Amino acid sequence: MNILIIEDEIDLQKSIVTYLKKEGYHCEVAANLEEALEKIWLYKYDCIIVDITLPDGSGLAVVEKLKSKKSKVGIIIVSARGELEDRIKGLEIGADDYLSKPFDLSELNARIKALLRRRNFDAQNEIVVGDLVVDPANRGASIKGKPVNLTRKEFDLLLYFISNPNRVVTKESIAEHLWGDDMDLVDSYDFIYSQLKNLRKKIFEGGGTDSIETIYGIGYKFIRG
Amino acid sequence: MKLFTIASRLYILSIVAVFTIGGLLAYFIMKSIIDTEFNEKLIAEKEQLIYELHTYQDLKDTYYLNIGDRINLQEMTNQKGIKQSISDTIMYDPFERKQLPFRTLTFSDRFQNKNYKVTITKSLLPNQDLVRGISEIFLIMFGSLMISLLVLNRIISKKIWSPFFKLKDQVQAFNLSRPDMVVLEDSEVSEFQVLKEAVEAMMQQTLRDYQNLKEYTENTSHEIQTPLAIIKNKTELLLQEKLTKNQMSEVGKIYEAATRLSKLKEGLALLTKIENNQFIKQESIDVRQFIERKLNNLQELIDIRKIKVTTKFFSALVIMMNYDLAYLLITNLLSNAIKHNIKGGNINIVLRQNVLTVSNTGVDPGVSTNELFERFKRSSTGSDSTGLGLAIVKRIVDFCKLDITYTYAVGKHSVILEFPSD
Repeated sequence: MNILIIEDEIDLQKSIVTYLKKEGYHCEVAANLEEALEKIWLYKYDCIIVDITLPDGSGLAVVEKLKSKKSKVGIIIVSARGELEDRIKGLEIGADDYLSKPFDLSELNARIKALLRRRNFDAQNEIVVGDLVVDPANRGASIKGKPVNLTRKEFDLLLYFISNPNRVVTKESIAEHLWGDDMDLVDSYDFIYSQLKNLRKKIFEGGGTDSIETIYGIGYKFIRG
Repeated sequence: MKLFTIASRLYILSIVAVFTIGGLLAYFIMKSIIDTEFNEKLIAEKEQLIYELHTYQDLKDTYYLNIGDRINLQEMTNQKGIKQSISDTIMYDPFERKQLPFRTLTFSDRFQNKNYKVTITKSLLPNQDLVRGISEIFLIMFGSLMISLLVLNRIISKKIWSPFFKLKDQVQAFNLSRPDMVVLEDSEVSEFQVLKEAVEAMMQQTLRDYQNLKEYTENTSHEIQTPLAIIKNKTELLLQEKLTKNQMSEVGKIYEAATRLSKLKEGLALLTKIENNQFIKQESIDVRQFIERKLNNLQELIDIRKIKVTTKFFSALVIMMNYDLAYLLITNLLSNAIKHNIKGGNINIVLRQNVLTVSNTGVDPGVSTNELFERFKRSSTGSDSTGLGLAIVKRIVDFCKLDITYTYAVGKHSVILEFPSD
């Protein structure tokens, strides 16, 4: 999987690359619009992450260029938080997803995976983790062939963990992933705790193994052998 | 109270006071002058009568006895004279054909070697007519003066104060986000001109300060973004390393603080946006539908806390409001009702006409409910909230000209939101 990261802030760019490389992606970077346009003309990517605010222009130009080429690449735009107009414009001209800064790397990772899954219709959609089989398209999960009845949020939570295996996922990023904009309003991690407790219980009762490790005070880690 | 009303009231009060005292004084002085004059006339008549009685042998020759007022001579057996006295009586007047007041002067005199008791009785009628006439004139003057003063006051006030009222309206219409809408007018009255200049200077200063603050906030909020993102992502990467438990916890704290800061920034940016009038587009929103949809979104949170939600929609309400603001407002209210609730508590949502009441069980906030609308004011029990939720609510409410009241009484929080009725 080839990913192009268009981000002018070098530190940020490096962090993203470090995180994604561990997922086995091949990452390339561009620090300005010119470089980005050159790279998309030269190479073919599966996913492009583009910051809207670039020193020599708007990242939206990249999206427009790709769309004019009828490229099937997945595009995630990144912009300063709360810039609603950017978001609407970006999605209108054909970006697939939107993230606002500052974002969690685990969230970005989950978004990339979801995007790639949606792009690969032909490939097998189910994710198999030991006894557990998760079908993101139909939002279903089963253990040893027996379906597990999960609520919407529990399923989202499970998928988020599976997208970030063997990683410490912070409770803040989980809250944001599950509740989105409402997160700072709800911002009580009791909710995540309860949500997680139910999820663990359901997996356990379904005969699965609990692979979620608690990192005290910080978050959780989904262990995938 | 209005300027006109106060001025008119003062005018009326002072006029009434002055005229009552002055009128009474004038009445009594007038009365006493007329009275004295009347008595002097009686005495003069007496002198004339005595003169005539002493001068003429035959009473038929006397002038006064024949054409004067009622004069009565009565021979007295008593040799000693009586003292002169004046008294008022009511008597029948054959000319006017009714009972009328009269004044009688009684005295004694000796002539033709006999003692006589003499009475001169004079009608008080012209006297009374005079007093009444003067009083009437006085009343008419009083009334017309009062009316003309009030009318004059109104006209003068309107004319003189008109620049003031204009200025007042303009100051009222002053909006920091739309400063170009206010153009103050010059006035011929120097005091108002001074006032206008002072107000103008104040407005400009306020605008400058506001602009500076706005730029500062916007810049800070924008520039803070990137470093925050770097801190967050770098710590996130650090968390993936093989760290000792202690190191892990320290890094976690950095991450937590960065997240908190970014959320604070977001809240403040939102407040600024509302202040900057960036939510202008209005659309019609069905309040009931809106709330039900939102409750549905929050259902899982509600379930986790085992909260019982009851909704009573007595009437349909469709409001014109910015969608994002309505979303923020309702989300904040409902989330607060969940967040600050107790386990197994309840939430009551009632919509009656244009009033929405959201009440929930919860613990005492520990501070005055009004203070909770201020930025960074948190209830003493609230833990990790940014303290901006209710400040945002208040800002939206003010911006959209709604009315909000927040009360707390024995374990029950109630937020009453009043939408303008058309």
